[in-house]
Amino acid sequence: MAEQKNIRNFCIVAHIDHGKSTLADRLIEATGTLATRDMQNQLLDSMDLERERGITIKLAPTRMLYKKDGVEYVLNLIDTPGHVDFTYEVSRSLAACEGAILIVDAGQGVEAQTLANAYLALDNNLEILPVINKIDLPSANPQKAKQESEDVVGIPAMHAPEISAKEGINITQVLDGIIKEFPAPKGDKNAPLKCLIFDSYYDNFKGAVCMIRVFDGTLKAGDKILFMHTQKQFDVTEVGYFTPSPKPCDCLSAGEVGYVCASIKKVADTQVGDTITSATNPIPKPLAGYKKVQPVVFSGIFPADGSKFNELKDALEKLKLNDSALEYTAENSTALGFGFRCGFLGLLHMEVIQERIEREFNLEIITTAPGVSYHVYKTDGSMLEVSNPSNLPEPSTIQRLEEPFVHMHIYTPPEYMGGIMDLCQQRRGISIDVQYIDDRRVKLVYDMPLNEIIYDFFDNLKSRTKGYASLDYELSDYRPSDLVKLDILLKGEPCDALSLIVHREHAQERGRMIAEKLKEAIPRQQFEVPIQAAIGGKIIARETVKAVRKDVLAKCYGGDITRKRKLLEKQKEGKKRMRTLGNVEVPAEAFINILKIDN
Amino acid sequence: MKELSFYIHIPFCVSKCIYCGFVSFINKQNCFEFYTKRLQEEILTYKQILKDYKLKSIFFGGGTPSILPSECICQILSTIKQNFNLTKTCEITLEANPESFDEQKAFAYKNAGINRLSFGLQSCNNKVLKFLGRPHTKKDFENAILWAKNAGFKNINADILIGTPNQTTQNLKNAINFLANQGVCHISAYGLMVEESTQLFKMVNSKQVVLPNEDQSVKLYETAVQELKKHGYNRYEISNFAIKGFECKHNQNYWARGEFLGFGVAAYSFFGGEHYENTKSLDDYLNLPFQKQNVEKETPLTAQNETIMLALRTENGLNLKDFNKKFNTDFEKQFEKELKELQQSGLISIQNGYLKITNFQVSNYIIEKFFV
Repeated sequence: MAEQKNIRNFCIVAHIDHGKSTLADRLIEATGTLATRDMQNQLLDSMDLERERGITIKLAPTRMLYKKDGVEYVLNLIDTPGHVDFTYEVSRSLAACEGAILIVDAGQGVEAQTLANAYLALDNNLEILPVINKIDLPSANPQKAKQESEDVVGIPAMHAPEISAKEGINITQVLDGIIKEFPAPKGDKNAPLKCLIFDSYYDNFKGAVCMIRVFDGTLKAGDKILFMHTQKQFDVTEVGYFTPSPKPCDCLSAGEVGYVCASIKKVADTQVGDTITSATNPIPKPLAGYKKVQPVVFSGIFPADGSKFNELKDALEKLKLNDSALEYTAENSTALGFGFRCGFLGLLHMEVIQERIEREFNLEIITTAPGVSYHVYKTDGSMLEVSNPSNLPEPSTIQRLEEPFVHMHIYTPPEYMGGIMDLCQQRRGISIDVQYIDDRRVKLVYDMPLNEIIYDFFDNLKSRTKGYASLDYELSDYRPSDLVKLDILLKGEPCDALSLIVHREHAQERGRMIAEKLKEAIPRQQFEVPIQAAIGGKIIARETVKAVRKDVLAKCYGGDITRKRKLLEKQKEGKKRMRTLGNVEVPAEAFINILKIDN
Repeated sequence: MKELSFYIHIPFCVSKCIYCGFVSFINKQNCFEFYTKRLQEEILTYKQILKDYKLKSIFFGGGTPSILPSECICQILSTIKQNFNLTKTCEITLEANPESFDEQKAFAYKNAGINRLSFGLQSCNNKVLKFLGRPHTKKDFENAILWAKNAGFKNINADILIGTPNQTTQNLKNAINFLANQGVCHISAYGLMVEESTQLFKMVNSKQVVLPNEDQSVKLYETAVQELKKHGYNRYEISNFAIKGFECKHNQNYWARGEFLGFGVAAYSFFGGEHYENTKSLDDYLNLPFQKQNVEKETPLTAQNETIMLALRTENGLNLKDFNKKFNTDFEKQFEKELKELQQSGLISIQNGYLKITNFQVSNYIIEKFFV
């Protein structure tokens, strides 16, 4: 067991793509925690998907040993997710640390998430060690990046290590900085047990495994523990730490970071931010900062092949084991049959879950348009939360509708300001502030409905600014809006899975675009298929798919037989992925295509 | 004794037509003799296997079989007759193009045992023939019919195309009228297909040529069916029309999913529960040992789909009792929903135990519904 004064608990925060995972890899390598041959680039991101997208979702704390001047230090690196969807998880990871390495890209300087993460670290009273990364790039200007860190973030940065994580340049300076700049943890190992859960995952053999930071007391196998927010009790079966693979140990004491297993059946019982204490000698009050994670983006997920409902259920159950933020409830759509309404932390989270279902469980799915949760105030004084447009009550019973707003920061070179402001205005953004940071960067602050962001705001922002703008946002509040339900009718029948809640001013345009997209996506059938977009009973857009009058009357002799049979079989296979709405056949692609509406 | 059909492919033409996607070669006169020899060798490889079989039809298709010297055809037929059993009513068809047909050939074919001729007329309009790249005229066809009749042929087919550029319903009526007057007793009326890799494909893609649109095609086909009926030609399959008693047995065997063996370059076979084909390379066919390619064993599923697909192309339709017995199923139960829907839309009918398509124009749409 390490002496408390030789422990350093820290994390790395950075804007996406500024090299966080690469630096983590280099630190693990430099401390000899893993032999180089065992290294797979960015090994902390354990899921393929994360590695492919270069983003981190799951946190994986790693214990590293580092000798300096004859003293052996224990460095606990707590990796954090780099995406705005996971701000709460980041804040809990930060709460487990005393210090934070702030990576600033030597070429790009301070970006929206650099700042947002730096503020999060400061909020958690962390010491910040700025590190200027990517000095090997031709565009690098370390001096300017340092100056910007001082001016924008407001931290001393002139002595910041200048490194290249990719090339392994000056990594030792970072290690020395960790020991010098970050304080050792405090805490009394003889006091009653106080631990923070900052992440958990599911292990097939051990059950839910909590990643914890011990603040007070000592935790060992056999202890009876209490989770203070869920009020559940467990018997500890194993404690240990990660290197980064799990290594059991005798005990974890105040100041240490590691894991605890206690035959916990569900990850949902191990909520991030919860406090673990002793069941026999509990502390009076849990650690501050706990929040129940709430999904903010919702969409319906249905099996593309209607007979695969059980497989989808199975997939979601398995994913949920490892992802307590994922929520789902069974849903029955007249259009799509049985499926699930799912709640996500954000769009990225949604996409990751969708991709994992398709990839890890080999299931094709149909996803309905993502939406947010609305507050519906009814004339009888009650309030209803609605995340599925088809559950919106009769307009006559609605007194008012409120939708979630976000508070948003955009950083951009000044030449793109006009384009961004246009975009924000189109998306009903309310300009709060414009600040010139220096001659090449502007900060725009907006309040904007969350619903306007979840379609393609980020893509649009990137394309209007050639990728230079960066974005950060947090949910702020609910505000009244003039919202309407947009229905799509096929052959006169409303199709629930295609309904949307939109702002009245955008309804016409969106209705027209959806009708056009559907016209392309729906194959011709033996009868004419009118496609209508409607608000209430009023039709606002119409397209028609003409009836098939003739298909190819090719000859069919010897060699044609198998060829033609295969052609028709293929056609049939395609139709299996179609849904019959009324008696209109609609391919799965139709539901997906309408999500891809560009402005 | 079991029965089957022979298909013999003659992959040679005088010239290549702009819409043709078949395997055929031009300027290969020097190969004719050797190709004939190889055909006979290939046919003989089945001698033992077909001991207990009778041939119910033989079909020389192409390409242009009439381009071969008539002696070649005679040799092939005599090899078949010497080594295999033929039914008494065995139908022996030869495809001929007017430009490579003459009086001498007509008599030679007749003497060799050919009892059905099929002419690739395609159009009665010389301008259209020229556009399509056909090397013959309407007059050539009239001569060919005359020689065929003189030689004693009664069972004569002519192919015509529906949906050529600028075709009017009147053009089509005139053509059918003309064929009826010529005493042709079978007409195959095919919708013009634009096959990839053809010259026509490029022309249509570059908008050099405009084909009739969907509504026009629908009308043309309807006109053809009506006009043919008026002259006594009954439709017995989507594209095939005959005076009663002159239906093509060879093709009926295909639609009944009967066994057949194909000989020659690129010829297909369905035999012993297997689909397979020959090499598409003329050189390989001439010089390498015979070898089945792309062999596909039938499965209950493919057998069922094929049976449905082929039977529903015919006017008689699908015999449900036979089908249920063969595949140990209950078709009407299995496809209850589809049958109801399609019946309501007036696209099919069930009469006397036969399921029939009543609107052949959307036959693919209907057939696919019954695929498993």
